[in-house]
Amino acid sequence: MKKKQHDLVFWLFLAPAVIAFLMVILIPFIMGIFYSMTDWTSRPQPEGLQFVGLLNFIDSFKDISFIYSFLLTIVYTFVNMIVINIVAFGLALLVTSKIKFDNIFRAGFFLPNLIGGLILGYIWQFIFNMVIPNLPVISAIFPAIAESGNLMLATRDSAVMAIVIAGSWQYAGYIMMIYVAAIISVPEELFEAAKIDGASSFKNLIHIIVPMTAQAFTITMFLTLVQSFKQFDVNVSLTGGGPSTQFAGSFIRGTELLALDIYNTAFTANSLAESQARSVIFFIVLVLISLLQVRRNKKKEVEL
Amino acid sequence: MKKVLLVLIMISAIMGNVFANGQQEAGSGVRPTLELLQNKPEIDPQLKAYAKAWGDANGVDVAIKTVGGSVDVTVGQMLTIGYAAGDLPDIFIFPGVDDYKQWAEVILDVSDQKWVDDTAVEFVYDGKVYGFPVAVEGWGMAYNAEILEAAGIDPAGLVNLEAYTAAFEKLDSMKAELGLDSVMSMAAAISMSWVTAHHNFNSLLSNGLAYGDLSVTNDLLAGKVDMDRLEQYASWVELLFTYADQSILVTGDYDAQVGSFAMGKSAFLHQGNWADGNIEASGASFERAFAPHGSMTEATDGIFVSAPSYYAINKDSKVVDYAKKFLNDLVYTDEGHNYMVNEAGMIPAFSPVTLSPSSPLSQSVQKWVADGKVYSWDQYYFSEDFRNNTLGPIYNQFAGKQINKAQFIDALNTAFESLK
Amino acid sequence: MINPKIRKKPLLLEVITAFLFVLFLMPIFIVVINAGKDSFAITANPLSLPEDWLQIFRNIATIWTDPNLRYGSSFFASSTITILSLLFITLVAGQAAWILVRTKSKLSQIIFFMFVAAMVIPFQIVMLPLVSWFRIVHKFIGIPLLRTYAGMILSYVGFGMSLSLFMYHGFIKGIPLELEEAATIDGCKKWEIFYRIIFPLLKPITATVLVLNGIWIWNDYLLPLLILGKGNAIQTVPLAVANFAGAYVKQWDLILTAVLLAMIPVIILFLFLQRYIIKGMVAGSIK
Repeated sequence: MKKKQHDLVFWLFLAPAVIAFLMVILIPFIMGIFYSMTDWTSRPQPEGLQFVGLLNFIDSFKDISFIYSFLLTIVYTFVNMIVINIVAFGLALLVTSKIKFDNIFRAGFFLPNLIGGLILGYIWQFIFNMVIPNLPVISAIFPAIAESGNLMLATRDSAVMAIVIAGSWQYAGYIMMIYVAAIISVPEELFEAAKIDGASSFKNLIHIIVPMTAQAFTITMFLTLVQSFKQFDVNVSLTGGGPSTQFAGSFIRGTELLALDIYNTAFTANSLAESQARSVIFFIVLVLISLLQVRRNKKKEVEL
Repeated sequence: MKKVLLVLIMISAIMGNVFANGQQEAGSGVRPTLELLQNKPEIDPQLKAYAKAWGDANGVDVAIKTVGGSVDVTVGQMLTIGYAAGDLPDIFIFPGVDDYKQWAEVILDVSDQKWVDDTAVEFVYDGKVYGFPVAVEGWGMAYNAEILEAAGIDPAGLVNLEAYTAAFEKLDSMKAELGLDSVMSMAAAISMSWVTAHHNFNSLLSNGLAYGDLSVTNDLLAGKVDMDRLEQYASWVELLFTYADQSILVTGDYDAQVGSFAMGKSAFLHQGNWADGNIEASGASFERAFAPHGSMTEATDGIFVSAPSYYAINKDSKVVDYAKKFLNDLVYTDEGHNYMVNEAGMIPAFSPVTLSPSSPLSQSVQKWVADGKVYSWDQYYFSEDFRNNTLGPIYNQFAGKQINKAQFIDALNTAFESLK
Repeated sequence: MINPKIRKKPLLLEVITAFLFVLFLMPIFIVVINAGKDSFAITANPLSLPEDWLQIFRNIATIWTDPNLRYGSSFFASSTITILSLLFITLVAGQAAWILVRTKSKLSQIIFFMFVAAMVIPFQIVMLPLVSWFRIVHKFIGIPLLRTYAGMILSYVGFGMSLSLFMYHGFIKGIPLELEEAATIDGCKKWEIFYRIIFPLLKPITATVLVLNGIWIWNDYLLPLLILGKGNAIQTVPLAVANFAGAYVKQWDLILTAVLLAMIPVIILFLFLQRYIIKGMVAGSIK
């Protein structure tokens, strides 16, 4: 090309995107990092902002509930990624196996994704607290499911699972679509060839589908990772952070994921600066994990 | 290309509106706007109707904003967001001293207002008046009088731990014949910390003390714990939790808690007079009233009554005079009285108001007030963070039987020591 | 065994799929049957069918006329915000992605990387500074962004830009250059090439971008709360629905009816665009 690369059109085409990005993300992001090193609060500060260095970061790490939320979020993310991807891949295999009504099924599995997280949490709270204990046949056979101690939202571990269930219900259909897209792009000839070789369905799965959809795995893993790590809406409306638990000798909220912890630090504890510090830590962790993960999956793609 | 052009024309047409639309409803002329932020969704329509009529009579547009309806937004959060946005309301509600301190910079001193002399429960800090009491509310042990009568229990005798223990045991043994699921309707889920760590917690702070006696509260805030009082209180909590419907206790919300009482499935309810409206809405009409809390071995004779929240005037408001008049008119006009009592069903906090509410629990509160048998609300001397994030989980663990009474006492003790 | 390409035991697979399908839709079914009851009947027996299906219309009427909810105007506000945001996101992200793909330079790569990297920025880090920043903009430049449609739409364009640009970028890489070269020879200007030739080719990925962003924008709660506030002139549907889900009282009948009403437009949008979405994902989201 003879024309210079960054001509007027280049900048005109980019400008709206860059301006929106600057206004909404980059500038507030930089302000956010700045605020994390000040004594910013919600109340009026006639004396102005004071620079406090890394104090908010130190305070955050001294707070047991923050450490707990951090660890819990890692566990939750791990479990959630596995559950969502298994469900989504399974569903994708089903709806691409040339069954009747596959379009309706696809739409149906995708449908929960259309419901907002906050509302979705309410629906599941309703189901766990009101519907499951009242299931007519099942509760007659297993009266234990209606006992207070066995309700999903009554104990910490099961409440975390409840968030996983609700979160997977919401997100699996979306991830399924990506797998579907990957599977149907596998050339038909590969299967024909395999058929002639007399390969079993299972072999097809291992030798054709999985390698051919490796790229999709990179993307779904990344999306579910980020989605799980950022989980907020369902957490708020389904468990609100409860029930409580004991951790390192303190009594704290047992299902408070990182995003909710940050939100509560800002709004319940009114420590806006500390909540900014926590979200900066959150950001750094997200960056590290995504980098690691993308690199690992890329390697795998090549190997396969 | 034509399509794109068409779209662009459409956009520019809409954009004209886009900026204009946001400019509040104030476009309707020169009338100033008075903005009020409050937290009782149940009286929102009544307040709006009253505010509209008042605004028309006074030439002001009154905008009522109601929060607390949603799961995660409180007045404090709205003020935080509003403050960041440079858009604070002219009148806003605050629940007590901890929140006062948060917003002290913007709250107007209203000591010179006439209504100050006509109420006993205004918000005072350092000798100055800063808050207009929205109403009077009270809680004790709400009981279903018909069930107690059928069980042969005299509510007048429910005055201490021993009496409640006996009554609960008796009711528990008669559950089948009385049609009860449980004796007690109590909630202790994390999202219900306002029942445990706010309301119930107050029994420890003020039960049996003269109104406004802060001795226990101040000791606790200084990390000094009266172990004897704390142990009695822990027995009380244990009693309530033991006889409560366990599903509602561990996972239930307000609806479940009040619903159980309203449907006659439990004899006692740990809520205040605000539950009346919800009880009536479910079609219940049984006789009900409040008995004192039995948090001590010693007899106590009174329920917890106070103004639940106060209206503050924003010092920087452009319509301070209208704001003052709005509050004054609630106290000194018939329309104001009618709104507070008949429309909103509140118990008025002011002596010029002679109307009284018609619902049973509100009447019970008024009766205790008239008899002078009231204890104060001191829970707001502890920060929301402490109540929700420190105390709430401790109650929740105890309710879920993850810790026993001794550990419960120990955990509370540790929590108070951390306040030093 | 599950076999995606060869028809072997379709009946068994169909039964399994149908069973999962029913299981998946059960929560939505529960929403529908309970939207047709009054509050009292819900708590008494959440699984029974409504005795009177007309109740659902009475509930809708209650919601429609509730002065606090202002469902009609909330619906209008949500629609305006969603439609305009989507329009801008597709145009802005599409043209930016195209120019980034077609300009092979270091700068172009850096800009693209910046957009993609921003995907990991947690919302919490920007939410409160964003409000402060918009306030500053209003104070010093005079453009009102808080409490306005403009601020809301700008926010969605900003927050939606990264993923949308990423998806367009992936899709456009697969479009052969020959088309554009031919057009250049014909004397088309650069912007004409994009809007006349390229943008129509982007239909499948545009459908995907529309649906993903549409779902998010329509259902979003926290951002409108921050930008629009509560009880102001402009109120979105999720803000309105949240009024029912009280800290104290949950009016399940009305919540569930409101949920149903809020879901319908997105479902319709989805059903319309369904066949494009898969196409878009094939080519788009997988690099």
